Amino acid sequence: MAKPANKPVIKMTDLKKRFGVGDAEHYALDGVDLTVKKGEFIAIMGPSGCGKTTLLNIIGLLDRPTDGEYLLDGDNVEDLRSGQAAKIRAHRIGFIFQNFNLIERLNVLENVALPLTYSGVPHMKRIQRASDILKGFHLQEREYYMPWQLSGGQTQRVAIARALVNKPSIILADEPTGNLDSKSSHIIMEELSEIHKKGNTILMVTHNPNLTTYATRVITMLDGRIDTDTAEPKLHENKNEKRPLNKSAKQKSSKKGAKTTKSSRRKAKK
Amino acid sequence: MLLLTDHYRVARQALDRSKTRAFLTMIGVAIGVASITAILALSGGVSKVIGRQVADLGGSVAVIRPSTGRASLADLSNPSPSNAYSTSPLQERDVTSISELLGVEAIAPLMTLSGSVRTNSSTPSESTIVATSPALQQISNLETADGQFIDSVTKQNTAVIGTQLSIDLFGTEQSIGQTFLVRGQSFTVIGILKRLNQPINYNNIDFDHAAIISLESGKLFNGGIAQIQQINVKAAPNTNMSRLADSIKLTLQNNHDNQKDSDVFIGREIAQPTSELFQFVSAVMAVIASISLLVGGIGIMNIMLVGVSERTREIGLRKAVGASNGTIVSQFLFEALIISVLGGVLGFLGGYFIAFVVSLMIPYDPVFSWYIVGWAATLSVGVGVVFGLYPAIRAARKDPIESLRRYH
Ligand SMILES: Nc1ncnc2c1ncn2[C@@H]1O[C@H](COP(=O)(O)OP(=O)(O)OP(=O)(O)O)[C@@H](O)[C@H]1O
Ligand SMILES: [Mg+2]
Repeated sequence: MAKPANKPVIKMTDLKKRFGVGDAEHYALDGVDLTVKKGEFIAIMGPSGCGKTTLLNIIGLLDRPTDGEYLLDGDNVEDLRSGQAAKIRAHRIGFIFQNFNLIERLNVLENVALPLTYSGVPHMKRIQRASDILKGFHLQEREYYMPWQLSGGQTQRVAIARALVNKPSIILADEPTGNLDSKSSHIIMEELSEIHKKGNTILMVTHNPNLTTYATRVITMLDGRIDTDTAEPKLHENKNEKRPLNKSAKQKSSKKGAKTTKSSRRKAKK
Repeated sequence: MLLLTDHYRVARQALDRSKTRAFLTMIGVAIGVASITAILALSGGVSKVIGRQVADLGGSVAVIRPSTGRASLADLSNPSPSNAYSTSPLQERDVTSISELLGVEAIAPLMTLSGSVRTNSSTPSESTIVATSPALQQISNLETADGQFIDSVTKQNTAVIGTQLSIDLFGTEQSIGQTFLVRGQSFTVIGILKRLNQPINYNNIDFDHAAIISLESGKLFNGGIAQIQQINVKAAPNTNMSRLADSIKLTLQNNHDNQKDSDVFIGREIAQPTSELFQFVSAVMAVIASISLLVGGIGIMNIMLVGVSERTREIGLRKAVGASNGTIVSQFLFEALIISVLGGVLGFLGGYFIAFVVSLMIPYDPVFSWYIVGWAATLSVGVGVVFGLYPAIRAARKDPIESLRRYH
């Protein structure tokens, strides 16, 4: 696993994700180029529905791109069998979902220990490690609470604890501070930057511009594309050069244009 | 892959939440397994009883019966299943030819007659009329308590009767010289059989309730033709039984224009239950068992499908944190198996309970054997796998994204 530090963890080229067919066809991701190096803390911003969650899902191997190339640690994910993808999710990726997704009938401890079940850790050790990590989040007295007995902020912290319990190298956080007050948000952000300092790669979606200060790089998305990127300010210009359209015109025409080129490309593929 | 203990833990957590539902589903499987267990335990009991009798015979007896290949489910609804008797292919000349074979020491044909036994004052409800030859006494170890067995010297219209029949007819065990009627024909009692208490035996005759008459008398009731249901052959000491059985088969085929219409049983084969009632009850129980196993299986599939859709989000989440499709399949399969195996255990115990209750009413006890345990286990595991697989695969096929999106 010792890859050269300069080698990107994530490399996406012209990545596309289409939902629906026929008239309902819709590109949630419409040509994303993104390179993430190890140890980056990236904040992703953008209006609702621009494809942020979809992007995280594809990065986390929960979903497959419709088109384009995605290299994870240099390996093309297209070649991964579903079992291998599951293994990578179990060992290397930690998800914090937009809606936390705790299992209602498992208590806090069992919820946090869940990812360890699938990475082959024995039961006692699982409980031990889950308990340790909960201590780090000051939730040790809540270990045997059921999810519905927790406050919103506690639920969020449990979800983060679960994402971190298997010591993943990539953490994908979808609005981890969703509907928290600013104080709780900053506590959670402090925790994430602690993890970042240990050398983990973090991609975090947020709607709160204040929180981007914790990140090393900020990306904004628009209509399934990367709009701005602090790491590659040139990129934006280049893109605009390629598509010299104003915003409203761009939305309409590009969608139509994209549709035809894509469908013709699909046909050609077949 | 997950350890079995992990699967067990996950399944337990899932089942704990829906205990009642799981329990009700279990009952379906339990009834099926209980019926099978009861059938096997009781039929094992019959085989054991008859097997002991066969063992008492010292392994020197061969039994010839008409083939029952024609027996089918349709026979169950036949108002007179015993009509098989009227078409028995065994004839008197078979008896003659077999008696000439090398190694045959004694031979006794058994002809059961319909019609009741009565006196002018009483008609016992339970009685059997058997026409046979004197050799039956020796072959089947029938002892007389009083008087003598039928023999070739005694004149016709004499009979040997069972102790219970004597009591039922005449109110006493001492009835030598008394007469009774069979289809208007009068018979004189010349002997009383010792009480056997073997209502189940390889002759299919409860001798305690039987009136034994000579084959000649029996034939007279049947237009002079012997309708033989069974031929008992006793071999001379040190005869190779299977070779004898083969030559009997050959003889029968020669006599019957090469038609294979009868079977020759030796040793333990003789002990297989042949009673029609028993077979009827077994068949009914087997049908009940298969239906309830089917219903139980459908119940499992149903509860599992409900579980899968209820837990869609959980499945998505488990996949997101690293569960592979295979793991999800085994998790749900394991859950189905817990239900079906617990049902199986319950059914196995219940089946023995039923068998013991039934055995209070019948003259033999159920037996325990690993063979029955094996059947119960195979059936319950089989039902779990067969009906749990589809829901499990459905669970594994769920798209994690959709699952996580749809339910929150
Ligand atoms: N399974 C799906 N089927 C159809 N359309 C989908 C599906 N998933 C996402 N979409 C569409 O893709 C687009 C992007 O969705 P996504 O969830 O990525 O947005 P988002 O940027 O995360 O928004 P938010 O900030 O509100 O969470 C949306 O228009 C959405 O309707
Ligand atoms: Mg989102």
